[in-house]
Amino acid sequence: MASRYDRAITVFSPDGHLFQVEYAQEAVKKGSTAVGIRGTNIVVLGVEKKSVAKLQDERTVRKICALDDHVCMAFAGLTADARVVINRARVECQSHKLTVEDPVTVEYITRFIATLKQKYTQSNGRRPFGISALIVGFDDDGISRLYQTDPSGTYHAWKANAIGRNAKTVREFLEKNYTEDAIASDSEAIKLAIKALLEVVQSGGKNIELAIIRRNQPLKMFSAKEVELYVTEIEKEKEEAEKKKSKKSV
Amino acid sequence: MAATFFGEVVKAPCREEEEEEEEEGRRETPEDREVRQQLARKREVRLLRRQTKTSLEVALLEKYPCSKFIIAIGNNAVAFLSSFVMNSGVWEEVGCAKLWNEWCRTTDTTHLSSTEAFCVFYHLKSNPSVFLCQCSCYVAEDQQYQWLEKVFGSCPRKNMQITILTCRHVTDYKTSESTGSLPSPFLKALKTQNFKDSACCPLLEQPNIVHDLPAAVLSYCQVWKIPAILYLCYTDVMKLDLITVEAFKPILSTRSLKGLVKNIPQSTEILKKLMTTNEIQSNIYT
Repeated sequence: MASRYDRAITVFSPDGHLFQVEYAQEAVKKGSTAVGIRGTNIVVLGVEKKSVAKLQDERTVRKICALDDHVCMAFAGLTADARVVINRARVECQSHKLTVEDPVTVEYITRFIATLKQKYTQSNGRRPFGISALIVGFDDDGISRLYQTDPSGTYHAWKANAIGRNAKTVREFLEKNYTEDAIASDSEAIKLAIKALLEVVQSGGKNIELAIIRRNQPLKMFSAKEVELYVTEIEKEKEEAEKKKSKKSV
Repeated sequence: MAATFFGEVVKAPCREEEEEEEEEGRRETPEDREVRQQLARKREVRLLRRQTKTSLEVALLEKYPCSKFIIAIGNNAVAFLSSFVMNSGVWEEVGCAKLWNEWCRTTDTTHLSSTEAFCVFYHLKSNPSVFLCQCSCYVAEDQQYQWLEKVFGSCPRKNMQITILTCRHVTDYKTSESTGSLPSPFLKALKTQNFKDSACCPLLEQPNIVHDLPAAVLSYCQVWKIPAILYLCYTDVMKLDLITVEAFKPILSTRSLKGLVKNIPQSTEILKKLMTTNEIQSNIYT
């Protein structure tokens, strides 16, 4: 039945599905995992780094991009679609700043991106954007924000979320481990993001890229060494927890 | 017969089988025959002995007695058996199946390297009646029967147990729920009438069906009354993926694999290492 109603985006199926939008969500699952965590004083974005070809310049393969000084996003899905969306969002951020003399709020730019995506689910001759995005940042009121958009054009605020390949596994891990203690300090929030990614990333710390925004500070991308430091700390804590467990059982 | 606008009389297409038409249609020229034979030779499934690389004269399971046969089809199933089963014992290669079809990445049919052959058969040194097959290549519809004949033979024994492991994309799973809410990856089982043990996961519900080589093996076992079970993992990541491979873990506790798996934590480490030698992803998706 799907095949009769899935050729054009502007056609509903009898049971109310927009198949092209649902297929676009499958395209998102082909991208590598991205996780976003909202802490009290920090927002963290972690992504599984794509393996680059030998002759490819690593710097041009980025999943985390700044949209403005105080907002950044990570995406999963079609690379080219992401580039288009990011460019439009960046222009909108500056246009907003020039027009109303205030930087965008995270919610505003998320709504802009979501509206853009929704437009493409309602025009003929166009297909939906095949990306989901995690948008993080701090507003002027100093509160941290995390939003997620998907190809259908919906957006929601989250405390922590994951998109891309194996996102379900990461989300289940976050549901179990996102506690007030876990995000009490900046380093704890960062460790939670790394731990969540390690659940699904095939080869450990060297395939993880991390970015944070602290209140009133610009986006900071972690170097591979800094990520490794956190990974070693996590592994140490794991070992100590296991030692304690075995001591208790003895 | 029909008359066209221009007054010519043409033969109207007719599905009725006429005597003369049949003969004319069936008469193939020598060239057609040659092409057909060449194609058949190209697509032949050959089962080769390991050391000598000569063809096996009889079917694999007619030559060797078999009590248990585990077949992994697809890269995730193969990775599961490699890390959990093949590392827990000493397995000896007894042969490999070489075949070519349009899915193969090479056009050279006579010199397939061992990486392309990818349908390798092993048996356990400590118990040579336990067989394992790692099949990473696609076996086309016209080749499946040949594969079955060369492996099982024309009159297979009934006292063996077959276990098949394979993967399928979750979008092929027909259900009234939306695929977004499915707990993928998840395991479903399908067994033949003679398989009396219980499966370690729910059975595959209608209207879902099994495809390709796993379906061919299962049908063959059902016809020949051989106890067989297929474990099908529905996943949304078809390439080699840690979470998908780990979804096969419940099978380790079943009778099919009992005694063949020793060190699970070590196997998990080996699996992680397998994942690191992964191919460069395409640039379309990030």
